[in-house]
Amino acid sequence: MKTNQKKAWLYLAPTIIFVTLFSIYPILRAFGMSFQSGSLIDLTWTGFNNYKYIFNDPEFWLAIKNTLLYAVISVPVGLAISIMLAWIIFDKVKHKALFETTFFMPYVTSTIAIGIVFRYIFNGDYGMLNFLLRAVHLPAPDWIDDPAMSLTTIIIFGIWSSLAFNIVILMGALRNIDPNFYTIADMYGASGKDKFWRITMPQLVPTIAFLLTMNIIGAFKIYTSVYALFNGAAGVGNSGTTAVFYIYNKFQTVGTPGVAMAATVVLFLIILFATFLQRKMMKKIGEN
Amino acid sequence: MDNNKFVEVKNLRKVYDNGHEAIKNVSFSVKKGDLVCLLGPSGCGKTTILNILAGLLNPTSGEILFDGKSVVNVEPKDRHIGYVFQNYALYPHMTVLQNVMFPLIVGKNKKSKPEAQKIAEKYMELTQITELADQKPGNLSGGQQQRVAIARALVQEPKILLMDEPLSNLDARLRLKIREEIRSLVKSVGITTLFVTHDQEEALSIGDKIILFNDGVIQQDDLGENFYLEPNNYFVANFVGNPVIDNFKVTKTDDELQGTDFTIKLADLDESRFKRSIPNGEYLLSVRPENIVPASDGILNVEVDDVELIGRERILKFTHDDSQARSLISLEVPVNHGDQVNLKMRLDRVFLFTPDGERVY
Repeated sequence: MKTNQKKAWLYLAPTIIFVTLFSIYPILRAFGMSFQSGSLIDLTWTGFNNYKYIFNDPEFWLAIKNTLLYAVISVPVGLAISIMLAWIIFDKVKHKALFETTFFMPYVTSTIAIGIVFRYIFNGDYGMLNFLLRAVHLPAPDWIDDPAMSLTTIIIFGIWSSLAFNIVILMGALRNIDPNFYTIADMYGASGKDKFWRITMPQLVPTIAFLLTMNIIGAFKIYTSVYALFNGAAGVGNSGTTAVFYIYNKFQTVGTPGVAMAATVVLFLIILFATFLQRKMMKKIGEN
Repeated sequence: MDNNKFVEVKNLRKVYDNGHEAIKNVSFSVKKGDLVCLLGPSGCGKTTILNILAGLLNPTSGEILFDGKSVVNVEPKDRHIGYVFQNYALYPHMTVLQNVMFPLIVGKNKKSKPEAQKIAEKYMELTQITELADQKPGNLSGGQQQRVAIARALVQEPKILLMDEPLSNLDARLRLKIREEIRSLVKSVGITTLFVTHDQEEALSIGDKIILFNDGVIQQDDLGENFYLEPNNYFVANFVGNPVIDNFKVTKTDDELQGTDFTIKLADLDESRFKRSIPNGEYLLSVRPENIVPASDGILNVEVDDVELIGRERILKFTHDDSQARSLISLEVPVNHGDQVNLKMRLDRVFLFTPDGERVY
């Protein structure tokens, strides 16, 4: 028993060391730093001052508002479109592998590179999107340079870039559904709608729950796509700033790591709460 | 309407896209209310036939009639069939009741929920799963899942029930119990049933008749006992029977069958059992193990390799012509490993086959 335990610790050691060093320590450190002020090499305790600062900072609230709006809109819409596309590919398309690869491409391409391409597509004057919109006589807003459009642009880009991962995972889940389920349903004369809502969707619930968690966490951490779309800024006049953008800005540009860490802790708590909430929700759905 | 030909299959052929001819010109018919077993080794085409009957596969050529009407171009949902899959394919996210109700609440002819529930409950009572109504399939035993699958197959009140190896996922004891249940259930409902199995014992015990397939061809379409007593050919004789039949190579001369170490006079055979007059040459003599037993006037002297006890009987194993053969003897007969015995054949019960399997005696 004793030797067994020793051995177990030995086998666990690499993981424990890595997790402690790279996960637990940074979290604790960030938490500690949120109560400190000064530069990284000269930190002093300052109590709740950092929290007071961010809660009184309108830019922080804008960042949180933008992040929440982004998460609440882009995740469900992105997921719904992904489910639709995955089902169409699975049900109707012949050369599935080709389409899957095509859809997966954005996922393996760097967000920065895609963001730069989208900068051109979204360009108000000579962008492809506005060219098409004008061709069908729709309003062609200035996606990049109009502060009022910043968040919309970020959301559209976010939805588009979430499709790749979602579709590939959903395709895997669709493939795992016993084909006999559909054969039997066909034999009983079930319609396409019957099959989708009574078989496919319930079978996808665990996968959707997983994707929802991943997407929401990802959405709260949005940074790269904003950076790429607005050429390193957070939109005109910081109109498209997000939580992580705020944190990075306070940490690196302004040089107040304490304030950045306080914002980090708040973001951490929001993500924790959101994940907890949606887990409860999915459990309810799964039971019905 | 001909109740003797409630299901009729004529000259059915199925060639898969890869060129494999799974079904070669198969014809048979099933009487209304009968439970018929489609028996055969794996890959013989029995499941292909079931799937063609269900409409899941299209035949390459041939005709299928249900109750006198052709169904070849009829959609599966309009064929009035119930289908039980080998793995049951119950919907894991639905309760037992929801599973059984499913066929009634989808499609064009869907019923209202209370109406559907009433019908579902009737069949759940019949299959004795009423108390499982709120359980999910994942919590049920194999036998219970089986019953749910059957109840679901029956709720639409189909004319024909198709079952694809429905017992193969159950353990041996449960299999015995469930197969009796299936038989009494389909008999009480009065539904015409086709039951695919590879297990001869299963087929013999529940089938009103058996259709034995091999290599896409019907080998014999007959009552269970005839597979044993009057096999059509060498394949049937060897497929049916446990322990398996003994085969001896013999050479026919003008008045004798000459085997290795034994001789049978043609005069001792029953003239009336010959199917046709046969030329001299090579033949296969097949004897059921219970028809070749030790006797003082035996014609074949062998050394016993092994004796296996199987309940009230024993199987005596010996080597002849470099292959193993068996004799089924009563428990009381005192024979042991290493003994020399004289074996006698009941010549009115032996079969004679040509080298390509045709039965001639």
